[in-house]
Amino acid sequence: MTGALDVATAVLLVIGGLFCVVGGIGLHRFSDFYQRTHAASVTDTAGAGLMLLGLMFQGGVSMVTLKLILVLTFLLFTSPAIAHALVKAAHGHGLALELEVSDEETDPGPGDSGPAAGGE
Amino acid sequence: MRWGVLLLLAAVWLSLSGPYTVHEWLILVFGLVSVAFVWRLYAALDREAGGDWEFFHPAAWLRLPRFLVAFVYRVALANLHVVRLILAPGSELHPRLRRVRASQKTSFGQILYANFITLTPGTITLDLRRGELLVYALDAQSEADVVDGSMDRDVLRLEGPSD
Repeated sequence: MTGALDVATAVLLVIGGLFCVVGGIGLHRFSDFYQRTHAASVTDTAGAGLMLLGLMFQGGVSMVTLKLILVLTFLLFTSPAIAHALVKAAHGHGLALELEVSDEETDPGPGDSGPAAGGE
Repeated sequence: MRWGVLLLLAAVWLSLSGPYTVHEWLILVFGLVSVAFVWRLYAALDREAGGDWEFFHPAAWLRLPRFLVAFVYRVALANLHVVRLILAPGSELHPRLRRVRASQKTSFGQILYANFITLTPGTITLDLRRGELLVYALDAQSEADVVDGSMDRDVLRLEGPSD
């Protein structure tokens, strides 16, 4: 039983590590800032997710596992916020996007940047 | 459901500090103070955003597992796609910028959708304005995954019926 859990942990850690490495390779292979953020998100989701999942098998049903779940949850909230902030800052300050297709001309115009719905 | 948020914050604090510190009343007091502080902060932010407390209703939590399954599935597929783009020799990227409708009713739902897209490798949300997302995608495949609206529906389903 313990053996199976250890194997599962080992496999998940290795696969998660591979995703991290591939994310790193992508970071170098992709050619501009915007494309590279996509490579980084492989590391953030598959890499970190699989490794944390692997560690959860070691924790079993315990406070440790609960904390690992919380770590994963916080990661899933913070990493897109950071990615969005980076990309929006780059875009807002005029770092050019190389595009094949673009809807940007159909700008809905200035206005509150918050969503129209939900506010009262 | 503001009391639900208070309970959630207290539970998070308790799980991080551990039951083994409960006997130290000073730490317990610190915990209560920090939970109360974050709770007030959240209430103020929520009031500013128009009040989406309903997301903490038990019904929304019951719909969460189904959303998580869809979330993991889509993120996994997108990961494999981007890994293929990275590793395949001579693969070409065709980056594109598209406007996508976010049909969620609450601001929380729209932000959840925007973050969902950003977390999915291959697509990033650049802007959210008037219920429309500006999405940057690596290639046609990544773009199609967003444009077909399936992720939008996943978040809509989590949001639940209006009343």
